[in-house]
Amino acid sequence: MMGFVINIVQMLLLVLAAPLLRGIISKLKAWIQKRQGASVWRPYANLWKLFHKEELVPNTATLIFRSAPVVAFAATVVAAAFLPVLHPAAFLTLDGDIFLFVYLLAIGRFAMSLGALDGGSSFGGMGSSREALVAALAEAPLFLVLTALAILARTGSLSEIAAWTIRQNFFDVSTVHLLALAALAIVAVAETGRIPVDNPTTHLELTMIHEAMVLEYSGPSLALIEWSQAIKLNLLATLMIGLFAPWGMSLTVTPLGLAAALGTYALKLACLVIGLAVVESSVAKLRMYAVPDFLRVASALAILAVIFTAITKR
Amino acid sequence: MGLFELAAAKMLSSAAMLLFGTVLLMATAKRISTCVYLFACQSAILTAEVVAAGYVQHMREAYIIAGMVLLVKVFAIPFALLWLMKKLRTAHDVGASLSPGYSVFVMSGLIILSFAAVRLYLIELHATEVILAAAVALILNGAFLMVTRSKALMLMMGLLVLENGIFLAALVTTFGMPLIIEIGIVFDLLIGLFLMGIFVFRIRDTFDHLDVSRLRGLRG
Repeated sequence: MMGFVINIVQMLLLVLAAPLLRGIISKLKAWIQKRQGASVWRPYANLWKLFHKEELVPNTATLIFRSAPVVAFAATVVAAAFLPVLHPAAFLTLDGDIFLFVYLLAIGRFAMSLGALDGGSSFGGMGSSREALVAALAEAPLFLVLTALAILARTGSLSEIAAWTIRQNFFDVSTVHLLALAALAIVAVAETGRIPVDNPTTHLELTMIHEAMVLEYSGPSLALIEWSQAIKLNLLATLMIGLFAPWGMSLTVTPLGLAAALGTYALKLACLVIGLAVVESSVAKLRMYAVPDFLRVASALAILAVIFTAITKR
Repeated sequence: MGLFELAAAKMLSSAAMLLFGTVLLMATAKRISTCVYLFACQSAILTAEVVAAGYVQHMREAYIIAGMVLLVKVFAIPFALLWLMKKLRTAHDVGASLSPGYSVFVMSGLIILSFAAVRLYLIELHATEVILAAAVALILNGAFLMVTRSKALMLMMGLLVLENGIFLAALVTTFGMPLIIEIGIVFDLLIGLFLMGIFVFRIRDTFDHLDVSRLRGLRG
């Protein structure tokens, strides 16, 4: 019973703390650029403001335009239910949920692409075609990474992979994990639309991918889109922590253990976020035509990781 | 004492993986200076490997070799290369004839190939499979870098990576070559670098660039 409550709490943590994570990233980026920066609670205020605004819908739009943000948000929240955060178990677990997780994220993207096309502006079409390109190229390496880890752990569920990894020796770094981590880092950047692939703060028509898709949205729909985007970032960061550094998760459900698990989770997340902020402030965005090559590196690393599961015997 | 042994054993087992990492990063590098830093990292890993091997097999000579490798490959050669780049004042890109994505694909293939090649000789050599494969992979990938990068400095980088591979192969299969031979090899490398440095200056003075794929174009 206690475990069940914890599972719900960790899922809500992923969903509700996501805007805060975004706020912290922009604050860190501001500090690196010697600026004051907005408060870390700003994304919440922004969401509040958008939820209370009137929604404007283009004349040509159909039901798809209105329902796309809701579908994307729902899919992302359900995907959050599969991730282990504080202890190696999740709200929803089934053998093979690594595939479900990937496709829940894909459903969100698919819905957003359709919605952008339905909006009727030329930017929406441009954005969704670019998004489709990036999504198609990022899906294969993400799958291969998860497959490689599933082969090692001999289980197809995210929380059981985490549970298996905790039992391993921290110092026995395996080649598979290193390659998979490198591939997943590249994929995570592409999936969440961060800087080397897409700039979340720009509205320059030549470069934007995700922003071009959401250009026609306003009010509550835009709020849902922004929120699900923030959750997605949180999801992928937590996925990396859960798959590659789950040490510190509490194995028993006690208040003290859970507090320690929360602390270590926050610490690991902070490391990832600082890394992301430094990379975003020091790396230039790639040209659109260089993005496939960037993701090709991830594919190569992921394939190598899968093959290494056969080569190296543990 | 237990801690040292543990560290040495871990170094021996996980060094190969780190070497794969440096080599794959070299494939994606866009600037020559990045490759130089990666080479320094790779040599540092090799140094640690030599120290670990020396500690495990109780060889005094290994420490001298490690010191020499550290001095020459981690500090002297990278510094010389960076100095050379500053002096030459030419473009910093590696002149890749194959994009990073494809390079990583080919290099991954070469790494797998080296595992397949090593497996046949494993029983006779009594060496750890992963490290021997890493040595072969370094040799193959060094040659691959030389073939696909068109800047003269990158050819030198490829050769240095290849040499690192040969060094590692010698270390794993013979449990350390005699000291005198190691000294000879290191000096060979230094002299080679010196000659190549002069050669690079000559290429630059004659052609105004360092792109070896355009060396056949006549200047009139």
